[in-house]
Amino acid sequence: MGEPKTTAGPPDAPAPPHPGPLPREAGESGKPGPPPPASPPGSGPGAGHPAPPVFSVRAFLLVAIGTFGAVAVAPIAATLFGDRLALSGTVAAGLAALAAALFGAMLGAAAAAVARRLAFYEVAAAALLWALAVALVALLPGLRAGSAALQPLEAQGTLVVVLGLLGAGLLAATCVFSGSTLAYLAFGTGRLDLSVSYELFVARSHLRLSPRTVAAIFGIVVTGLVPGLLVALVWSLVRDARERRAYRRGELFRRARMPATLLMTLISIGGVAIGVWALTVVLSVMSGFEADLKRKILGHNAHGMVLTYGQDEFDGWRGVREKVLGVKGVAGATPFLYNEVMLSAGQNLTGAILKGIDVDTVGTVTDLPKNVEDGDLSWLRAPEKIPQGGRAGAEPGAGEAPRKARPLPGIVIGRELARALRVFVGDQVSVVSPFGDLGPAGPQPKSRPFHVAAIFYSGMYEYDSKFAYMDLAEGQKFFGAGETITGLELKVDDVDTARAVMGRVVFALGGWPFRAKDWGELNRSLFSALQMEKVVMAVILGFIVLVASFIIVATLIMLVLEKTREIAVLKSMGAGVPSVMKIFVAEGVIIGAVGTAFGLILGYGSCLLIDRVGIPLDPEVYYISNLPVLIEPAQFALVTLAALALSYLATIYPATKAARLRPVDGLRAE
Amino acid sequence: MSATAAAAPFVRIEGLAKTYLMGDRRLDVLRGIDLEIAEGELVALTGPSGAGKSTFLHLLGTLDVPTRGRVLFDGEDVFERGEEGLASFRNQTIGFVFQSHHLLPEFTALENVMMPALVRRVPRGEARRLAAEMLGQVGLGERLEHRPGELSGGEQQRVALARALCLGPRLLLADEPTGNLDPQTADGIHALLADLNARLSITAVVVTHNERLAQALPRRLRIVEGRLV
Repeated sequence: MGEPKTTAGPPDAPAPPHPGPLPREAGESGKPGPPPPASPPGSGPGAGHPAPPVFSVRAFLLVAIGTFGAVAVAPIAATLFGDRLALSGTVAAGLAALAAALFGAMLGAAAAAVARRLAFYEVAAAALLWALAVALVALLPGLRAGSAALQPLEAQGTLVVVLGLLGAGLLAATCVFSGSTLAYLAFGTGRLDLSVSYELFVARSHLRLSPRTVAAIFGIVVTGLVPGLLVALVWSLVRDARERRAYRRGELFRRARMPATLLMTLISIGGVAIGVWALTVVLSVMSGFEADLKRKILGHNAHGMVLTYGQDEFDGWRGVREKVLGVKGVAGATPFLYNEVMLSAGQNLTGAILKGIDVDTVGTVTDLPKNVEDGDLSWLRAPEKIPQGGRAGAEPGAGEAPRKARPLPGIVIGRELARALRVFVGDQVSVVSPFGDLGPAGPQPKSRPFHVAAIFYSGMYEYDSKFAYMDLAEGQKFFGAGETITGLELKVDDVDTARAVMGRVVFALGGWPFRAKDWGELNRSLFSALQMEKVVMAVILGFIVLVASFIIVATLIMLVLEKTREIAVLKSMGAGVPSVMKIFVAEGVIIGAVGTAFGLILGYGSCLLIDRVGIPLDPEVYYISNLPVLIEPAQFALVTLAALALSYLATIYPATKAARLRPVDGLRAE
Repeated sequence: MSATAAAAPFVRIEGLAKTYLMGDRRLDVLRGIDLEIAEGELVALTGPSGAGKSTFLHLLGTLDVPTRGRVLFDGEDVFERGEEGLASFRNQTIGFVFQSHHLLPEFTALENVMMPALVRRVPRGEARRLAAEMLGQVGLGERLEHRPGELSGGEQQRVALARALCLGPRLLLADEPTGNLDPQTADGIHALLADLNARLSITAVVVTHNERLAQALPRRLRIVEGRLV
């Protein structure tokens, strides 16, 4: 709309003797000025006057480099920050995103400078080009095989790759466009003009946000709309009554009317606030779940483990342990022997993972000693101390019970496993190993009774129902492992650096036959699923903010229509296009900022409330008694940034519409 | 101020024409106007309604772009400057007074008059001083903090005049400044206009229906059917 086109009009003799009945017709309307007020678009701008082109190839090239470059910069920067500078994952990712965004924004700014206007068409074209490229990548799997950056996504299928790439391109194009608009706002007059003083002055008068109205909308949002609206209703009723009384007495009662645009402004603020509120609370709760899960997994499991490539080759573990403990960042190490067995007690039978552990050092790595809720871990070493449950002898399941020459060795099982086997501390459990002695018909399963020495509860159903522990020496004897172990479990000082520490451990051990895994690798599927879930939640809830930004668009368009005359007057005073745009951009950003501030306050408050008061969950389902919350400042910052960016982008269209208004139209509209 | 007048006339209009296309209908509002205005002149522009007076004024004030022809200020075709150049040109050279004053209703008289200075990025305090001084000159020194709605028609028009003159423009364009006023108030505005022109030597083009006023001004032009007669 209003893009100056060089329409010289049909060739026309200079000032021909035109019969021209039209002006006379118009003249009879008695209005000052020429013809009917509404003149069609495109009739105005004259011939031969300078106007920037609609599409600039140079700007397009810059924008395309910006879009494609930003997508490429992100993973490169992430590797740089993550590996070279050894920053933690989130910080590296954040910095990389920032670097990519800045790169895109700078090229967008350059494009705006070249095109001397918003490079909107160019950015749109670049985004389309990117989509085309993604389609090509999707259709030709060979193209993406080589890319290391795509590997994590690749595992989740082509659709995820395509969506991820499209999303990345969209984000990059958005950064480029933001850069272009910001540069135009700052340099649009031909020189640097960062001042927004009078624009803010005008914007404030448009918004009419007095502290009272802001407080009112905050109250309504806080009270969850219904009570707030009720209060508003009662207030309006009282005012109505006063007005009627005044009317009866013949007094003048001036009712303060709320202008439509103010109402729209308040609704937009409420929309942004609710979006930000929902986002922060849900993300904090999801972070809470994730942190809780991580705590439980890391509490029960080691942060990493040292293994060997071959089977039964890990001997001399005491020496290896000493070496490993010497590595910087390692906080503890304990040997383990890993076997899968069947457990039976009476008629009950279940599969389990049986770990042979070193009772003395296991506490330095896992929370197992702390998780014991019944019995005692040290009884693994001294099985004679295990109180013999009354049912032990009565159980006819294991025939070896009467032979009491030597006390049965102890075993520690999880609460769910104990429940499944229906055993208590002191009860007898038979361990059946598929790799047994060599019998006449080949290897025979080997079975041996144990006494339950302790029952642990980790809070993770998976662990409580699958894990059993026995003394390392007992295990080596039972499985015929001699002096070998499966590996060493390690605890590191900082969980987030586990990966790097594992690398150092392998280096210290001299590489082959040793290898190491960190907890992220051990639980990759779980944590990547959680991460994915969080991203999806953020996107879905982000739509609330997106919708709120559409309300901002609608509000601003209404304001522009309402202020047509004012815009014309400002332009007649010499306000330029960027200046008029700034007014409406400022309005949208103020709406977004106030809404975001409300949302953050509400979100933070809600999180604190959930944390303090606690919302009980069914522990049978969630294995967690209260709804967990984790308030992550980085998350709040990200939500703020996203909300502000969306509100800013929402202003661009109305602002352009306002700035492109022709002053004559506004002045004529009477 | 009038130093440049010797080389080229302050304003020179060459073959100015404006055509509106309404669908497939052509509307020739201005059909080639040639005119020179010297610095410091006070020009009355009359003509029947719909003759193109307002369009002419808008083109002269660069609010609209001509279909054909040129407007030269000091010999320079201003429409060559591009949109932003025109905006700053308007801010520095031209002051507008509109028929229906077009004051911004949400702002006080003072703020309205300050606005052009703020657009030019004059610091707030300086703008306030300029505006207050100019409001004093039009006789509204006591009503700085009133909003347009609280002022009478004549006062509103005087505020509009103060706003147009706040930055000391070289060219004042007034589009029927007294069209909505009673004769006495109108005379007051006219007297003010003449006085300011005399004191500040501002060039002014005043569109008016008021024959009495037109007769009082030194130079009178008449537009009929898009042409000067």
